[in-house]
Amino acid sequence: MSLLSLEAVSVCVDDRVIVRDVSLNINPGELHVIMGPNGAGKSTLLAAIMGLSHVRVCGGRILFSGVDITHFPSYERAKLGISLAHQVTPTFRGVRFLEVANAISSRFNTDWRTLASLLKVEDLLLRDLFSGFSGGERKRAELYLALLQNPRVALLDEPDSGVDIDTLRVLAELIDYIVFTQGTSVILVTHLGPILEKLPRITRAHIMVEGAIVYSGDPSHVIPVILKHGYTRGLEVFGGEGG
Amino acid sequence: MRVGRAEIEKALSKPSPFGVDIDVSKYVVEEPSVEEFKALELEESVRRASTRLGFNGIRPSYIQVDQTALYTLLEKRLRGYGVTVIPLRIALEKTDLARRIAWRLVDPRNDKYTALAYLKGGELGYFIYVPPNVKVDIPIYTCLVLKLERRAQLAHNVVYVDEGSEAHVVTGCAVPHGVREGLHVGITEFYVSKGARLTFSMIHAWSPGVHVRPRTAVYVEEGGEYVGYYITYNPLQSIQMYPVTSLQARAKAYSASVIVGLGSGDYDVGAKIVLEGSGASGEVVSRTLGLDESRITARAEIVGRARDSRGHIECLGLLVSEKSSITAHPQIKSENPGSTLSHEAAIGRISREELEYLMSRGFTEDEAKSIIVRGFMKVDVPGLPEVVRRHVDRIVGTISKLAMG
Repeated sequence: MSLLSLEAVSVCVDDRVIVRDVSLNINPGELHVIMGPNGAGKSTLLAAIMGLSHVRVCGGRILFSGVDITHFPSYERAKLGISLAHQVTPTFRGVRFLEVANAISSRFNTDWRTLASLLKVEDLLLRDLFSGFSGGERKRAELYLALLQNPRVALLDEPDSGVDIDTLRVLAELIDYIVFTQGTSVILVTHLGPILEKLPRITRAHIMVEGAIVYSGDPSHVIPVILKHGYTRGLEVFGGEGG
Repeated sequence: MRVGRAEIEKALSKPSPFGVDIDVSKYVVEEPSVEEFKALELEESVRRASTRLGFNGIRPSYIQVDQTALYTLLEKRLRGYGVTVIPLRIALEKTDLARRIAWRLVDPRNDKYTALAYLKGGELGYFIYVPPNVKVDIPIYTCLVLKLERRAQLAHNVVYVDEGSEAHVVTGCAVPHGVREGLHVGITEFYVSKGARLTFSMIHAWSPGVHVRPRTAVYVEEGGEYVGYYITYNPLQSIQMYPVTSLQARAKAYSASVIVGLGSGDYDVGAKIVLEGSGASGEVVSRTLGLDESRITARAEIVGRARDSRGHIECLGLLVSEKSSITAHPQIKSENPGSTLSHEAAIGRISREELEYLMSRGFTEDEAKSIIVRGFMKVDVPGLPEVVRRHVDRIVGTISKLAMG
């Protein structure tokens, strides 16, 4: 039994179908990468797995450790061990980062200090959460809070966009560590190449276009082709290989 | 301040420029009296009032119940520092210092409340003196309780921290449950001498029907520092206060007000800092939470009169109830090109995005609201002693529950 299974999941926003018939199986300690052009539905898929209220599963079901969580609220999913590093984060005016970090670390019984040092967010902790943060600071802070939940499955929505090269290396090392040392499963959504070049042990790569996963395969095969040719031409290269 | 009695009597009808105007003649002022007490003798209603302030297990050095000043022998450690805490009335009889400085920072003619306290208060209230070059690391607690219906409680407090010293004063003002009507007027004058440091925390636990008019002025000499923290988190009828702090060269002040607007209360609260000396710096911070049908006005003003002086104002409001209102008036005024002043003000509500975000981190909607409110009301006040900080944190925890309804 997989840790996380998506069985022909379709996701709607209002009345529009954004994600169609996606099936995925994620086992413990696996790193899956979902790539795709802007607007492919990658973030919507992660939002549906997390159970955010602006999206609705309008077909299929989501299983976590065999339990159907398709209609669980997001906080129940978080308690089960699913965590999402959001692509877009709200600004908390007047609420310090440390307050939120403390609340999460008490809830999940984790140590906020070590991770803060690793992700270099200590200097941000006394500021209002996400208020006036640079792009890189925002990404590091968000990944920090997501990992503070000590998740069994971490959904990382473009953690690499807008970060400098040094931060990128730290992010890649951290992802590699939580997957292959701690046994956390990760679904990493990205449409950029650099972070993938720094992740040597990706389990599987998926290409998502227009709401559907159109190709899945061995990352050592898929990623170089996409990085070289882009999505349209890359998919032609894969032709009828199937994934 | 030496002015004629006739002038002060004239001020008895002078309203304050801010806040709801109160007919002070509705309230009875008891004959002032001073008594020594032992902690065990405190009657149940007074104990209950101090419990509402979170003063459980704390032995205040001065308690005023209505118009009776109760004072006790200082605890040994405070005595060891040479600290004096006595009713001002006694201090005025016994010490030149008290006579010299009382009513020097607050003019009794300011408004009807200062005039009433001057004319009828009998100089009840506390007098605290901290001798030079001592760091008093334990807080000095005082407690003012309004126990009887339709009474006016008038207190006049004078605190003098001598050169190079440090002290922490915590004053709780409360009514026991059940008091429906009353007026509390508290005049407080703080003198912070050269290189000295004073933190003053004021915690209020009133009830609907009580009007509150604190009148505070602070004078900080060269290189001194004053930190003021005010929190109110129980319903009241109205409060209006606008303490003024005057800073001399290289002196610093930080003023934080945490206001939880409840019931149909009218809250007009703020602080003014005047940067008189070069290198002086001041910051005024307020956090207001609008619940029920409360009306809150948050005022702040910094006046820069000296070179190399700096001031900043931050007024943030969170409107929880649609029937509540919050108004912010941050004001900066520069009278010297070498003064740098800034302000920011924002009033918002708990957004759906913030709630959704925290829910995705494992919190129910109510828990998410509570985290936001708690975080919002928790102001990081510099230099509060740990014991006071914990006290305040407990109160902020209570506030976050209040916001849940």
